[in-house]
Amino acid sequence: MKKILILLISLTAFHGKAQKSDIAAEDLNGIRAIGSPANPKVKVYWNKYSDHAEIYRICSDLAKTYPDLVKVQSIGKSVEGRDIWLMSITDFKTGTADRKPGFYIDGNIHANELQGTEVALYTAWYLAESFQTVDFIRELLRDKIFYIAPTINPDSREYFIKHPNNPNSSRTGRLPLDDDGDGLVDEDLLDDLDGDGNIVMMRRKSATGRYKVDCDNPQRMVMAKPDELGEYEMLGYEGLDNDGDGRVNEDAVGTYDPNRDWGWNWQPDYIQRGALYYPGMLPETKAVKKFILEHPNIAGAQSYHNYGGMFLRGPGAADDEKYYTRADVQVYDYIGKLGEKMVPGYNYFVIHKDLYTVFGGEIDWMALGRGIFTFSNELMTSYKLFNRKSGEGRFENTEFEDFDKLLLFGDGYVKWKPYKHPQFGDIEIGGPKKNYIRNHPGFLLMEDSHRNMAFTILHAHQMPKLEVVETRKKDLGGGLTEITAIVMNRRIMPTHSAHDVRYKIERPDYISLKNAGVVAGMIVENEDFGITVEQKMNPEKIAVENIPGMGFVKVRWIVKGKTDNAAVEIDSAKGGLVSRKLQ
Amino acid sequence: MRIKLLLLGMLAILTPALAQTGYSSHSQLSARLKSLPAKSRLAALASIGKSSGGKDIWAVTLSAGDHSKNKAVLIVAGADGRHPAGTEMAVKLAEALVALPADSLAGLLKNKTLYIIPGLNPDALEQVTAGLKYERSGNATTRDDDRDGRTDEDPFEDLNADGLITQLRIEDPTGTYVSAKDDARVLVKADAAKGETGKYLLITEGTDNDKDGRFNEDGPGGVNIDKNFTYNYPMFEREAGEYQASEPETRAFLDFLYKNNNIHTVFHFGLSNNLSEATKFDRANASKRIISGLQEKDAAVTEMVSKMYGKAGITNAPVLPQTAGNLTQTAYYHAGRFSYSTPGWWVPKAKETEKKAGPPARKPEGSGPEADYLKWADEVGVKAFVPWTRVSHPDFPDKNVEVGGLMPYALHNPPVPFLDSAVIRHQAFFTDYLNALPRTEIVNTRVESLGNGVNRVTVTVVNKGLLPTYAEIGDRVRYIYKVSCKIRLSEAQTLLSGKPNNYRGAMAAGESEEYSWLINGKGKITVEGGSPTSGISHLELTLK
Repeated sequence: MKKILILLISLTAFHGKAQKSDIAAEDLNGIRAIGSPANPKVKVYWNKYSDHAEIYRICSDLAKTYPDLVKVQSIGKSVEGRDIWLMSITDFKTGTADRKPGFYIDGNIHANELQGTEVALYTAWYLAESFQTVDFIRELLRDKIFYIAPTINPDSREYFIKHPNNPNSSRTGRLPLDDDGDGLVDEDLLDDLDGDGNIVMMRRKSATGRYKVDCDNPQRMVMAKPDELGEYEMLGYEGLDNDGDGRVNEDAVGTYDPNRDWGWNWQPDYIQRGALYYPGMLPETKAVKKFILEHPNIAGAQSYHNYGGMFLRGPGAADDEKYYTRADVQVYDYIGKLGEKMVPGYNYFVIHKDLYTVFGGEIDWMALGRGIFTFSNELMTSYKLFNRKSGEGRFENTEFEDFDKLLLFGDGYVKWKPYKHPQFGDIEIGGPKKNYIRNHPGFLLMEDSHRNMAFTILHAHQMPKLEVVETRKKDLGGGLTEITAIVMNRRIMPTHSAHDVRYKIERPDYISLKNAGVVAGMIVENEDFGITVEQKMNPEKIAVENIPGMGFVKVRWIVKGKTDNAAVEIDSAKGGLVSRKLQ
Repeated sequence: MRIKLLLLGMLAILTPALAQTGYSSHSQLSARLKSLPAKSRLAALASIGKSSGGKDIWAVTLSAGDHSKNKAVLIVAGADGRHPAGTEMAVKLAEALVALPADSLAGLLKNKTLYIIPGLNPDALEQVTAGLKYERSGNATTRDDDRDGRTDEDPFEDLNADGLITQLRIEDPTGTYVSAKDDARVLVKADAAKGETGKYLLITEGTDNDKDGRFNEDGPGGVNIDKNFTYNYPMFEREAGEYQASEPETRAFLDFLYKNNNIHTVFHFGLSNNLSEATKFDRANASKRIISGLQEKDAAVTEMVSKMYGKAGITNAPVLPQTAGNLTQTAYYHAGRFSYSTPGWWVPKAKETEKKAGPPARKPEGSGPEADYLKWADEVGVKAFVPWTRVSHPDFPDKNVEVGGLMPYALHNPPVPFLDSAVIRHQAFFTDYLNALPRTEIVNTRVESLGNGVNRVTVTVVNKGLLPTYAEIGDRVRYIYKVSCKIRLSEAQTLLSGKPNNYRGAMAAGESEEYSWLINGKGKITVEGGSPTSGISHLELTLK
């Protein structure tokens, strides 16, 4: 009864008229740029990257400023003991927060892929700051809950930001491992020879080298033509042979892949490079798994990565293609294809077909292990540099060099400079800075955060929204009444994916008749021809395996006695709780 | 109700009807294991983790010197709780070894370590000594076995109050079972090809509590650890768990195995058998991306080990195929160790057929393993059968329902005294196996002076054992330490030629490799060669 009242109140509240006094004055006049809060209560600059302290600052400021919208908690500790922060964002004053359809977002599982964190933080900030001004967001947070973990690899993120790295290093976490099998752990790390915080490339003048300087672009090294002499040999990333074994930088901290540590089609390191002993060895992935298993209301999920401009769905491995049925793919197609319009330059792709094979990846565990509709966005693409796709490959074109020259004024690269190397002698070091190439330049970061957030909100908005659309009573005589209820799902995502139905991952949805003397209960498969399936046990609580996207189920009870106070209640793990009094 | 059943079960233990007692509870096992270190200075005991029900998982270490520096064999049992006999054999084996004269045990363990984890799934193993006995595989993790949204809503019921969960046969026109021809007590599937039509429904003892048409499909008992390992994991199957290695027992075992990189071979007393009859080499399976067949050299070694097993007098083992997500295959395909499993004990072959030569692993002689077991049990006077007796059953009000059948655990778990001869034979086999372990040595060392302080140092690393340094599949596994040969120089010495650290793949029995270096300088250098699974030798040489 109380729930129905709340529902009614919030229904009337929703019409865009509510609580105008809460809207900042700036939002009502011309200062406000459309789509952005003009005077947000929580101040954040969206053209930089956040370290661990700043991530917590944003999370806790949002929670303090918007206590009825944002709550922050630690879901576990990393290898080095940092908290993994997670924000729960919903309209806490309406309904039961953890029973609303839930959308899980994380970022930065690969620590060098920084901007997943910024998109996740931006999403939290945008939702909280727009709740009063944008009707759609208010309705969204009334119906759904977002769980946002800005980084699930905080140790290595901090290491990437604060210590010397190159664009590709620190994909791993910080669990010490003996990478080269010599019994020593982490004894040959990358070395920042010039102490500038960036690990760039080493080159050496050589009569036998096969590389030369690009005459149009002195920053760039190109292969000499097949019949042409080169000037330089390339010596790899900046470093020393610290342990004197004749190899450079061969045993860094970690060098495993946290995104190969998940319990779906996990394979060992010799099949899937980066795997550990078994899935779930890392405290970070364990914490996420635990959270997701404890929140069966999570119906959709997004894990932000970089690079390449892609909306990826599973499966990660071709032999799991059999788990993707047509009905489930249609849901992904709807979101993925609209996404291509929303984020220019991004493509809707399938991991194993369009990227590469991944065994034991996070999104496969969520999608196939738990039946959650999951996307993984690969943020940033070279398309964003000049708003076009180059016809040439990454190593043939000069887009990054040109962009650096024309729009970054040379900020993207460490210029080649001489260095006396203890093992290589006179060399030169130079190349892209660690935050160039894979991570967005500042002025592109906010725009892409917004576009990717919008994609994810589209995804989240399509999580199930259940409604009892109709109830009917029929007097059967002899004190018996037949009650029929039609339950509709007003979004395209079903309460159970077809894969979930097949393997019974999540419990059935229950449609119950309360406050009535139920004699029999049944699912109505076809009302016109009177085809019903009786449920013999607990007929008052009908179990249905799924409520399809934009579809409905009909249930029927035979009741004796009064039905004045009877109500139909839907209890769906991923579809939420809904109740309606009988007319 | 539950207390009443428990009491009835406790009474049943006290009656002589139950011949197959003698198994130890977890606390009894713990006490037996804790007494071992006092009996030999070479024995140590540690807990490698706790089960989901909070019970210790014990590991006995038998070693002369630092156990981690010795090549090692690991014996594990009780991953599937339906096999307490494996646990009992492993403990008896540890007890027998510790009881050896001190010098013969020290001789057996020279440069070697034997790890024994006797009960990997203590939560499930406990059921064999519980008031109500049923064959339980699962640990204490709560699982919704039938995935209907309710947990543990349809357990067994002890309808005849004998403390045992056996079976129900119901005379019914839709039944598909008939009495076996060779033993009327045993029910077998009616075979239409033999003109048979079914007479009985056959289900486990209990009622359909949740009225879903299935009997006892969701009782207490969560994850079968021998179904929770990473290789060929049976996702979504009953008792397999939430995902690969989701259980603390599985993780404790894998952590122990991976971290002890000296473990060369894993032996598993369990409900599969690849020891008495070696797995054949299959090139297609061995070379798939996801490898599903023994590597070629490993298949040859496995065959040799299988013969060694037969020579120890262990014969006529039953065919028991490897199962999905089990320990034995994971230890080989994922952890890269030689890995063997055997139930350890089985029904001895009937006397009249004993002389006939047959394959090392055999098919049942009668209508099935149950009939074979009962025949043997009758001969040796083991009570293993509950006679079919009529009961009234709420789900079959007008039917002839009888409770009875083979006692739980009987098939693979005889009364404990019957395990003694199997333990003696396995002790002989493990002694042979420990003696066959690889032994890498540095031989044929030479220091030649080339004049002016330049020395050529040459050594050969050879495997003098009867087994390879480690399994061929180990060469693919990142966490297996390869065979290495390294030199250590002092500050004053310089290396002119040769790599300071040399690594290579597994070395077969008798295989060797020569290494040489050019060194400028004087004084002593150290050479180190071998691998953790075959022993690492150190040698000091003096430059000329």
